[in-house]
Amino acid sequence: MPSCSTKCGRTAILKRPKTGDVLCKDCFFEAFENEIHFTITKAKLFTPNSTVAIAASGGKDSTVLAYILKLLNEKYNYQLKLLLLSIDEGITGYRDDSLETVKKNQEDYDMSLKVLSYKDLYGWTMDEIVAAIGRKNNCTFCGVFRRQALDRGAHLLKVDYLATGHNADDIAETVLMNILRGDLARLSRCTSIITDSGDGIPRVKPLKYCYEKEIVMYAYFRKLVYFSTECVFAPNAYRGHARVLLKDLEKIDPSVIMNIIQSGESIKVNQTVNMPTLTNCTRCGYVSSQEICKACVLLEGLNKGLPKLGIGKSSKVKRLLEEHSLKEKSISKNNCSNSNKTCENTIIDKDFQCLCLGKKESVQIDQLPLDKLTI
Amino acid sequence: MCSVGDDDFENDLQKVMPVIKNVILSETCNKCRARPPLVVLRSKDFYCKDCFLTGTTHKFRALLGKSRLIRPNDIVLVHHQIGHPSTALLHFLRSALDLSTPKKLQFKPVILFIDNQYHLTVKERLDILTAVEQEVNSFEFNLYFISFAKYIANPDSIEELITTHDLTISENDKDELDSLVKTKCSLTNKNDIKTLFQRQLLLDVARHLKCKFVFTPDISIDIASQLLSNVSLGRGSHISVDTGFCDDRDEIVKILKPLRLFDMKELALYNKFNKREPLCVRQPEINPYSSIQDLMKTFVNNLQSNFPATVTTIIKTGDKLTVEQTGLQICTLCKNVLSKATPQLRAEDSTNFSHLISTQIPDQSYSREERYLSLLDTFEKEEYGNKDLCYACYKISNHMMGY
Ligand SMILES: [Zn+2]
Ligand SMILES: [Zn+2]
Ligand SMILES: [Zn+2]
Ligand SMILES: [Zn+2]
Repeated sequence: MPSCSTKCGRTAILKRPKTGDVLCKDCFFEAFENEIHFTITKAKLFTPNSTVAIAASGGKDSTVLAYILKLLNEKYNYQLKLLLLSIDEGITGYRDDSLETVKKNQEDYDMSLKVLSYKDLYGWTMDEIVAAIGRKNNCTFCGVFRRQALDRGAHLLKVDYLATGHNADDIAETVLMNILRGDLARLSRCTSIITDSGDGIPRVKPLKYCYEKEIVMYAYFRKLVYFSTECVFAPNAYRGHARVLLKDLEKIDPSVIMNIIQSGESIKVNQTVNMPTLTNCTRCGYVSSQEICKACVLLEGLNKGLPKLGIGKSSKVKRLLEEHSLKEKSISKNNCSNSNKTCENTIIDKDFQCLCLGKKESVQIDQLPLDKLTI
Repeated sequence: MCSVGDDDFENDLQKVMPVIKNVILSETCNKCRARPPLVVLRSKDFYCKDCFLTGTTHKFRALLGKSRLIRPNDIVLVHHQIGHPSTALLHFLRSALDLSTPKKLQFKPVILFIDNQYHLTVKERLDILTAVEQEVNSFEFNLYFISFAKYIANPDSIEELITTHDLTISENDKDELDSLVKTKCSLTNKNDIKTLFQRQLLLDVARHLKCKFVFTPDISIDIASQLLSNVSLGRGSHISVDTGFCDDRDEIVKILKPLRLFDMKELALYNKFNKREPLCVRQPEINPYSSIQDLMKTFVNNLQSNFPATVTTIIKTGDKLTVEQTGLQICTLCKNVLSKATPQLRAEDSTNFSHLISTQIPDQSYSREERYLSLLDTFEKEEYGNKDLCYACYKISNHMMGY
């Protein structure tokens, strides 16, 4: 049994993928927490006496984030008011379990919890949207609305910061994805630890330099309760490719994750390259490349009884208006791709893959082989 | 964490990652619209033989011409390797030199072959040297040989190392690279070190032969996989010089990549139509998981066959990046400009801090806050990295002898 790298005299129980050092449980806790404190103070993430909304999904990242922010806030006297912000899409059966977990977090950490539904944010639940537009296009709504929900929620609650649980793996994956997409604007800003969605509420990522595996180990050894189910929404194709690539790279050398972030942080875009300018939606103020953001266009369509407005290219809007006068002949059937023949699900993602909850299975600590991580 | 909702781009998958549909054969060539097509490129462009050859030749000359770097009578060192790209490169050059029109190339190529295929037997390597000599002679170019191993052992005596024939090689050559590195050096780091040395070799030989330019035979998949490897090794800030058309790190010799926008199919067809058969060599068996570079090659190869447009996108992304023009401080290993110190927190700082905190004895007689402050104090006093090396070179230097 190797002894802890800090020479504290105890036996090590885990090997850190980030540094290769082996640590005992107590030294790991202190190291992991102090590193996040280091990130928060060095990157000046918060100013004292502010209110911070923690985006809470019930998953491991947001659970660990909430736990550690509370702990550091007390130990190092940040003087922050912390609250949990959760979004309920209103998809029957989808969020119920994870919301239960968030409620448990609220009790455990003694933080106030605000659950905002799509109804609160947009005036429509996802189930209502599906009923209004049929099954074929609701993926567009779902994606667009999910994107803005946290920002709108933070705005509604008038908080000063929105903290999300993005970890180092997520950031590295996004760098790779933006290279595959050739998206220079996002490539140059995706490694920022503080971003602005245009509403003046900074989005901060205190776990930016934390390895996903270490987050899992931390949650495991602290016995934190979290909802360990894989997200039922499939990632887009680029993110899918980037994710597989990153997992393979990590197998060869775990330090690749920090290398990729370091690369992303030091990449410089040639000044002569035209970058799309981002403005703010004239209706809701959300960052958008258009005058009116996609969510506002979709909402307008729903509210006017023309739900397909805004799906597809804007040039098609006119044609859609014409088409609208013709009665919809039939609503396309849900071809459940999860071989769930009796699938009643109405949520279909961009690639028209059924996101039925049939594939929802509890995953053993995110399928990470803990026995390989621990010694 | 769950990333759904993070990606606020619209359904642009069809634009950048289009799935190849069944090719519908066209009746006539896309270019001349007269002759029947013989060639399909990128699953959508149909060309007859004549139009394909004209287009390919034009593509080669256009890239060189556009750069306006090379002057008449400049000598260009061509790094020759085994395979379609190198054979096509020699053919491009010979046919452009033989023109009698104003488009005739005015510079003078000399060819360099590096003996570095250490997975082969000595006999196989000797056979290759003979075959390369025949191939290059058939194009009527002058050829030099050099041994990579001998260069590593003795980088300062280029004059004795380069030869026009009878290169001395031995079974022990393959051990030479290992003598540079410590035993625990990973294959990823070895590959990285090899790349740095090969670049230096090309520059040294070019200088010795009074060449102002070097041509390398890298094609699109080489560029894309190098770019992704760069990102993964922490060399993101060097992408534009490492993968761009012109590597101008050296004051005298510029390294150019004239084939960087070609793919293998184009060059293989070009050789076929010109009745040129490139040399073959027994390829080493590669486990894609043995190194980052090998994994990236496999990844890009898969992209090339399933999403060829994505390979182009990766290269274009690189073309829009630049190097930090901050100071004159140069990394002594890779010769890239060193990033200047920034007050912003970077991944490097976080890793250094994590390593420090994982190796310091926590003194339990102090409070948690006092322990943190003393640790921070140690962190800030400590010098990290090496002021003469960039982030990635510092990491590999830990595995090299003499550092
Ligand atoms: Zn310990
Ligand atoms: Zn809007
Ligand atoms: Zn033609
Ligand atoms: Zn360097």
